[in-house]
Amino acid sequence: MHGMTENIMAVLLVVNLALMASSRLAGCIGLVALQGIAIGLLPLFAPGGFSARGFLLAAFVAVLKGIVFPRLLHNAIRGASVRREVEPFVGYGFSLIIGVALTILSFWLGTGLLPSSHGNERIVLAGAIATVFTGLFLIVSRRKALTQVLGYLVMENGIAAFGLAVVSEIPLLIELGILLDAFVAIFVMAIIIYHISREFDHIDADQLSTLKG
Amino acid sequence: MQFIDNAIWLLAAFPLLCGMVSLLLPSPRLVLSAAAAGVLASAALDTLAVARVFARGAMASNGDWFRVDALSAFHLAVMIIVFAMSSIYAVSYFRNEPEDMQLNLASARRFSALWHGALAAMTLVLISNNIAIMWVGVEATTLLTAFLICLHISTVSLEATWKYLIVCSVGVAFAFMGVLLLAASAGANAAGASVMQWTHLQGIASGLDPRLARLSFIFLLVGYGTKAGLAPMHSWLPDAHSQAPAPVSAVFSGFMLNMALYCIMRHMPIVAQTAGNQHWAGNLLIFFGLASILIAAVFIISQHDLKRLLAYCSVEHIGIIALGLGLGGAGIFAALFHTLNHSLCKTLGFFSAGRIGQACHSHDMRQIRGAMRIDPLWGGGLFGSLLALIGVAPFAIFMSEFMLLKAAADSHRYIVIVVFLLGAGIVFVGVLRQAIEMAWGEKPQGAHGIKSSLAERIIVLATLALLILAGIWMPDFFRNALKAAAAVAGGGMP
Repeated sequence: MHGMTENIMAVLLVVNLALMASSRLAGCIGLVALQGIAIGLLPLFAPGGFSARGFLLAAFVAVLKGIVFPRLLHNAIRGASVRREVEPFVGYGFSLIIGVALTILSFWLGTGLLPSSHGNERIVLAGAIATVFTGLFLIVSRRKALTQVLGYLVMENGIAAFGLAVVSEIPLLIELGILLDAFVAIFVMAIIIYHISREFDHIDADQLSTLKG
Repeated sequence: MQFIDNAIWLLAAFPLLCGMVSLLLPSPRLVLSAAAAGVLASAALDTLAVARVFARGAMASNGDWFRVDALSAFHLAVMIIVFAMSSIYAVSYFRNEPEDMQLNLASARRFSALWHGALAAMTLVLISNNIAIMWVGVEATTLLTAFLICLHISTVSLEATWKYLIVCSVGVAFAFMGVLLLAASAGANAAGASVMQWTHLQGIASGLDPRLARLSFIFLLVGYGTKAGLAPMHSWLPDAHSQAPAPVSAVFSGFMLNMALYCIMRHMPIVAQTAGNQHWAGNLLIFFGLASILIAAVFIISQHDLKRLLAYCSVEHIGIIALGLGLGGAGIFAALFHTLNHSLCKTLGFFSAGRIGQACHSHDMRQIRGAMRIDPLWGGGLFGSLLALIGVAPFAIFMSEFMLLKAAADSHRYIVIVVFLLGAGIVFVGVLRQAIEMAWGEKPQGAHGIKSSLAERIIVLATLALLILAGIWMPDFFRNALKAAAAVAGGGMP
């Protein structure tokens, strides 16, 4: 059981770095879906996590983040003739270096925040912080509205892992409320992206700059 | 009346029901009227709860998941005033939109459903005793109100919606990390479901891990501060307020920002009571408050768009409220009084801007001239609300700002007073210059008259009368209600 948590965190970190370096939007959607499934399974391998409740919740998260979200996002960009992120504000090579630096920083922060008796939680916490950082970086450094939504999803994944690391048990009702919010958020963002691509013939968030002052 | 005690959740569920009923109606006009009726019915229900709380003290139901105390009851009261006025106003506002912007059945239904949904989500924030459910409610308001901004789809309204959605979602996600950290700071002191209950956390506040509690408050302040429009996290606010239809802007400015501040008010006493954090949380709020006042002042000076001007005024006033909260004691009392005054005043301001904008076909302040001659009612509403906003006596905002300064002087924070007066002075000059020209200048060629309904006349005159009345006389029941609410925000647990 102990080893499984570490494997999942490794998947999380590898996906973070891969997102930093990939330009195909469809590929990015797939990577974020993979990360979402990994996060969904994570609570099963916590001590005492293998209950009927935990299993149902994990299955629910995996379906939502692995199947429903990617489908919504694919639909949103179907109308727009965009397949790639073009000329991000920060180049892919440099993004990757930043990704590595953020991961190191996260491990430093994560191990500082919790006492060393929480061995497993410290690793999850560090991975969670790295994922939140990655999401934020994607939001500010990429041009396409879709990539910003992916950044938001990555951040959401990071926060889910963060919650697992710092709070022992979150009541089911709250868990469901958070998932409902995430679902509606992606739903609403996908619809707005669809409208933006129809009104503007592009989905470049940096060109949404008429309103100033 | 007994039933509310045991089922506080009804307050949030009832608007949802009204929203669904209004979807069944066959014409846009009927849908909008039903929306207003539904909000008024919900307001009546909320009024019962508010009256009960102020008469008999806090009430809780459903295993302490829901709780209404003086602080939440006060905000419930502000919410229903803003929502009820805006719903009535929305009926005639949308009727008088230009031909090509008239709501069709689909968009009227969308408006009504989202409007009730937003009311339900905001109510959920106010009545939940659980800091995580409170967060769920705040995030829900962002998502539900997003489509209200782009009710009329255009390039600029989509731009505003996108910024609002991304900035607020990311901001509020930070607040959730704060919620998690606060729960974590309880360590072994909190078990199971009670770990995120406000009453429970408040009870064990002195035993929380001070380092984690501090960290959580930073996240909460940045997160909910984004939603509240505190500078420098306010970047979404002027865009969203200026592009949304006037009734929506009124609700955004009149209550949604206050709802986010309410969340900060809930967390502040918990963090302030953990060891060694007594003035720390307050000082942080004072800093953000002063920053908001100054930054808003800079943008107000060079503003040409009326609705953006009002939006930056919101940043300023939210800063003032945050400042009052940070000062503590009498400052909290002043901040809550200011909350009500600002909401009343800003609602009227956006109403007038919307109707006069329709008459002048623009929200550009260089195009809006002679508002008093176009329509004395709305011209007076605009001029009066702008005067009240910049703190002219005897309007109530003057009184609440005066109380706030007194609280600052009593605690010997003279730098705060100087910075506050500097910001307020810049805003005073910047807004007054524009207000005089808009009200008295030469009436533009294309401007047409405004037909206002009886309900609108009552709203404008009653709001102005209330603003003046509250400035010169504070009845005892109102003073006691404010005191009780301030006591909760200050850390008491009645």
